[in-house]
Amino acid sequence: MAWNFDKPLYSLTDESQNTAARKTWESESLGGITEDNNRLPQPVVWLLAATIVTAFLITFPLWGQRPSAAIFSEYVQLMDTPEVQAIADDKGKMDYIVKNVKDTKYKALQDRHPVEMDDLRMVKDQIIELNRQGVDLEEYTVVGQHVVLANFEGNMKPDGTRQRKQPWWDKGYTIDIFYVAYFCIAVVIVIKRLPHFSWQPDHSVAH
Amino acid sequence: MLKYLFAKNEDIAPGTAAVFFGFSSIIWFVIGTGLGSFNAAKLAFPDFVTGSYLFSFGHMRQVHVLAVIFGWISMAFAMAMMYITPALGNTRLWSEKLGVWNCFLWNVGLSLGLTLLWTGMSSGREYSDMPWFIDLYIAAFIALPMAINVWMTIIKRRTQGIYTTNWFFGAGVFMVTIVFIVGNSPEWFNLTGLSEAYLTWWFAHNVLGLWITPIAAAIAYYTVPKVTGNPLYSHRIGHLHFWSVVVFYSTPAAHHLMSAPLPEWLKSFASVEGVLILVPAIAFVSNLLLTMQGKWHMFVENVEIKYTITGVLLAVPLNMQGGFQQTRAINWYVHGTGWIVAHAHLALLGFSTFLEGAAVYYGLQTILRRKLYSLALANFHFWFLLIGFAIYWISMTIAGLIQGAGKIYEVPYIDVVIAEHPYMIARWVGGTMVFTGNLVWLYNMWMTARAGAVIPEGRLPHELAYER
Repeated sequence: MAWNFDKPLYSLTDESQNTAARKTWESESLGGITEDNNRLPQPVVWLLAATIVTAFLITFPLWGQRPSAAIFSEYVQLMDTPEVQAIADDKGKMDYIVKNVKDTKYKALQDRHPVEMDDLRMVKDQIIELNRQGVDLEEYTVVGQHVVLANFEGNMKPDGTRQRKQPWWDKGYTIDIFYVAYFCIAVVIVIKRLPHFSWQPDHSVAH
Repeated sequence: MLKYLFAKNEDIAPGTAAVFFGFSSIIWFVIGTGLGSFNAAKLAFPDFVTGSYLFSFGHMRQVHVLAVIFGWISMAFAMAMMYITPALGNTRLWSEKLGVWNCFLWNVGLSLGLTLLWTGMSSGREYSDMPWFIDLYIAAFIALPMAINVWMTIIKRRTQGIYTTNWFFGAGVFMVTIVFIVGNSPEWFNLTGLSEAYLTWWFAHNVLGLWITPIAAAIAYYTVPKVTGNPLYSHRIGHLHFWSVVVFYSTPAAHHLMSAPLPEWLKSFASVEGVLILVPAIAFVSNLLLTMQGKWHMFVENVEIKYTITGVLLAVPLNMQGGFQQTRAINWYVHGTGWIVAHAHLALLGFSTFLEGAAVYYGLQTILRRKLYSLALANFHFWFLLIGFAIYWISMTIAGLIQGAGKIYEVPYIDVVIAEHPYMIARWVGGTMVFTGNLVWLYNMWMTARAGAVIPEGRLPHELAYER
């Protein structure tokens, strides 16, 4: 299994090994079924590259991730205002709250995670308690009727603990970039260990 | 079969195990699609067969699913392995007797397991519904003997190289054994909650990814070059296909649980890997279609090629759908709707069934050395299978989109049920066409064995297909 690094994109195998591979390739009929030594067609290579890029692009915006407690914080504050109290039905109350939130930073996330008054009532006390403790509500996730510490593992904070917000780079994508890179390197190595594609087996030799 | 169980290995003719597996697979296909048609009728016509627990949808559904996966698909795979592996190694199957026992115990175990499921004894985990003792039985008497026979045949081969198909076969039986044992571990170790959910879907995803997809593809790598006489277009693309299946298909199980409280990094990882399943698909489809160069007339004329290339072409929409429906935006819309049912049938009844159909048609003719009894019936089977499947797939895709819209726009459930009704009837019609086609197939292959013209020595069945 000698290696040849003179022209790594041409062949990684030395000539004696290439000769042995060619001999095996041509002398075995494999029950009348054989295979050629064609390179990956260029359109296929471009298609593969486009697939990898597309995979990252279309999955990058993590649409629909679970809502943080922060996006409902202002909803909860508005619940006890006299204006909301004066409205008789829950639907009207909710419509008023949604129309009158001031913090537009969370507008898109609030649209993605619509809630009803009953949902707010279940998390209200927990959000008020977290606000009283002065913690960052973006680090808390609303899961059903519970407000829990999010399971993100983001950047390190100065006090040595992990930030519980989704970092822009997100750990899953980092793993993916390495994973795809390893795959591409491994496939190039596997393919370049074969005889160069300029050589085609003569299948008539076996017959 | 019984006389072969106790015969000496050398007294059993080569291909015997493959023939038993071949006919078993067709019979299970008839049973599986018959159950499917029955279940579809229950969904289309709610008053059809009521008042019995045994015939309720909840009892019947997993019997249909597992009869098709373990009976039809996996037995057709076993059939293909029992005759292709030795053919590609210029040798005999390592043990015909083990193969016959394997087939016998497979039929017994599957019948027992499905009967228990039917009566309501289920682990309750989708795709791994069998009770734990049946799981152990499957591992010990179905998966392991088959794997040993395939590996030993490859080890005892009389060629130096290992052709792509055998590479996939050898790896596939290894991977499915691991997947089966690890995937059923929640039941053996009483795992609950998210761990159970993740492992259940790890099993369900990888049974498709590391068993059904690669083995079906491996069959195409054999049948297309064998029947067309063209060598496989590229060994290099074969490598790209094999390694990308192993790398990309084994990782995205979490994409089945995009709305579960799994770690976000795992979902991101699974989501990217899910789209990258297109890589093996592109490699596979391009390799097979390029192998067809100059022989495209056979796609119209030849039964085996017609089946295989239809299966290969169906891999394109299958993987496009699979890759994109697991992204969060689309998953949010289609999750839990008929769209997913349509996709699952595109995988098992479309892509993989057509490839296995070709293997069983070709294999039985080759081993029995009998010309196909009726080409017309084979074409009838092909078109009933294809049209029936298409009706099923299209109607359920539309039904899924309606359900998704109903879910998002909070349409009252009963209104969605009413809107679904015509599509449920279409599903039943499509499924019944598939079942009818399979009955015809069983008759055709039975008559091939009994009354097909004998193929002379030195000729191959597809060479004689149009000779009278």
